[in-house]
Amino acid sequence: MCEVKLSEIHFSYNTNVAIDNISLTISQGDFVAVVGPNGAGKSTMLKIIAGLIKPTRGQVQIGGKDIFAAKEHGLIGYVPQNYGKNAQGFPATVKEVVALGLTLGVAAAKRNHQAVSHITNHMMELVGVDQLRDRRIGELSGGQQQRVMVAMALAANPQLLLLDEPTSGIDYDASARIYELLGTLNKNLGITIVMVSHDIEKAVSWANKVACINRKLCFFGSSKEFDDTHAQARHLWYYTGQ
Amino acid sequence: MEFFQYDFIQRALLAGLITGIVCPLIGSFVVVRRQSLIGDGLGHIAFAGVTGGYMVGLYPVVGALILTIAGAVGIELVRRKHTEFADMGLAIFFYAGAAMAIIFSTMTRMPSTGLLSFLFGSIITVSLTDVITIAGAGTLVLIIVYFLFDKLMLMSLDEDIAHVAGINTGMINMLFSILTALVVVVGMTIVGILLVSALMIVPVATAHLLRVGFKATMGWAVFFSMLSVFIGLTSSFYLDIAPGGTIVMTAIFLYILMTIIRQYIAYKEKRKEQSLSFLGDK
Repeated sequence: MCEVKLSEIHFSYNTNVAIDNISLTISQGDFVAVVGPNGAGKSTMLKIIAGLIKPTRGQVQIGGKDIFAAKEHGLIGYVPQNYGKNAQGFPATVKEVVALGLTLGVAAAKRNHQAVSHITNHMMELVGVDQLRDRRIGELSGGQQQRVMVAMALAANPQLLLLDEPTSGIDYDASARIYELLGTLNKNLGITIVMVSHDIEKAVSWANKVACINRKLCFFGSSKEFDDTHAQARHLWYYTGQ
Repeated sequence: MEFFQYDFIQRALLAGLITGIVCPLIGSFVVVRRQSLIGDGLGHIAFAGVTGGYMVGLYPVVGALILTIAGAVGIELVRRKHTEFADMGLAIFFYAGAAMAIIFSTMTRMPSTGLLSFLFGSIITVSLTDVITIAGAGTLVLIIVYFLFDKLMLMSLDEDIAHVAGINTGMINMLFSILTALVVVVGMTIVGILLVSALMIVPVATAHLLRVGFKATMGWAVFFSMLSVFIGLTSSFYLDIAPGGTIVMTAIFLYILMTIIRQYIAYKEKRKEQSLSFLGDK
């Protein structure tokens, strides 16, 4: 069970409030798009869910346990926005990077190398990077790197996948393929997905729920409801931040 | 060969080859973490440890080990506190090490021959105790890198992903800093404090030119490093030059050679592509 529950989350950088009293519950199998203007606290909220930063007030529970107690290998897969500051020129091959998702939690001596190789190949095929297996990740395009990072996260068999702007800086076709991939993973494997995105149209069309935040939670509900009731207002709000 | 008959050469070779293995092992992670100058910073602290150890009557290598590990822990703590100016902390420790070394060496009037052997490396001063210390430290580094390899690799790529995956990044970063300090002290006996960092970086840079995977890059870096140590020590003996210079110049020569080979291969590939497209046009 991978229910994510945020209770009265508050976070501030020095005196600047980034997240103000957000409470919401994400159910097992949900695909949630987190949208909002620049500086709304979307990435901060995702980092709080990931357990990377501690909220000033409030609590995050995953499967009924506090995030800091619940965190174990493979529970959460995380693909940050500026992943791999060091990715440029990084010498690991795609296969080596994807395999990391599997081997991290297993002692070197206890690994079944055949199984690791088999699952790694399967994950690469799933995200469509199997042709690039021997290429170094630092030599790939942004979209290809993003798929490799998703494959690595998936290799750990996570119950919850957190993605921060997975399509930023990626061309239209590549970003469409990433959304399609996430939608398929959510439907076929039942992985709970929380994705921060600027691309409201695309994100809302693939997600089943939408969380709109602008420091506070402005909307949380089904994407259909969001589409029906906020169609015009959201554009104004998105561009003006009002 | 006359070269291998001397006991001091056998000791220097053994210590040198162990150094040649562990320096690029740690260097492979140091390079991709964009911390290539950490070895230089720690080298200066090690120099302060050598002179400080001599001042208080401690075996210089032990003095270097204590102060370098303390320095590595300090650098890591400053890096965590000031992530936006991580290299600033390294610079401060770098200068503090150099300043302390000057103060201690002036206060103790350490003999210049001893100082020079630590600065530039030496093949005649490698004692059996040094070999045993280097072998012990080298084994420890090998074991830890073997068990933490995947974690270190992911942390080098992205620390946040590693943290969310359940890795204790704080503890492993600290351990890695201590290992780096250990390797600097291991390497200073043979290559010298001034150039120990080069043996951590240059063979790795050469291996990167081969454009192979992470593990293969590491393997090639160890090969280039051991080759540099062997050729450097041999030429040091015959030319009567401090080994630090000959080892590092060999490593740099290999880097230049590999760069030329790489350029040549790229040129040939381009020519082949042009020929194929020309034939295609026809």
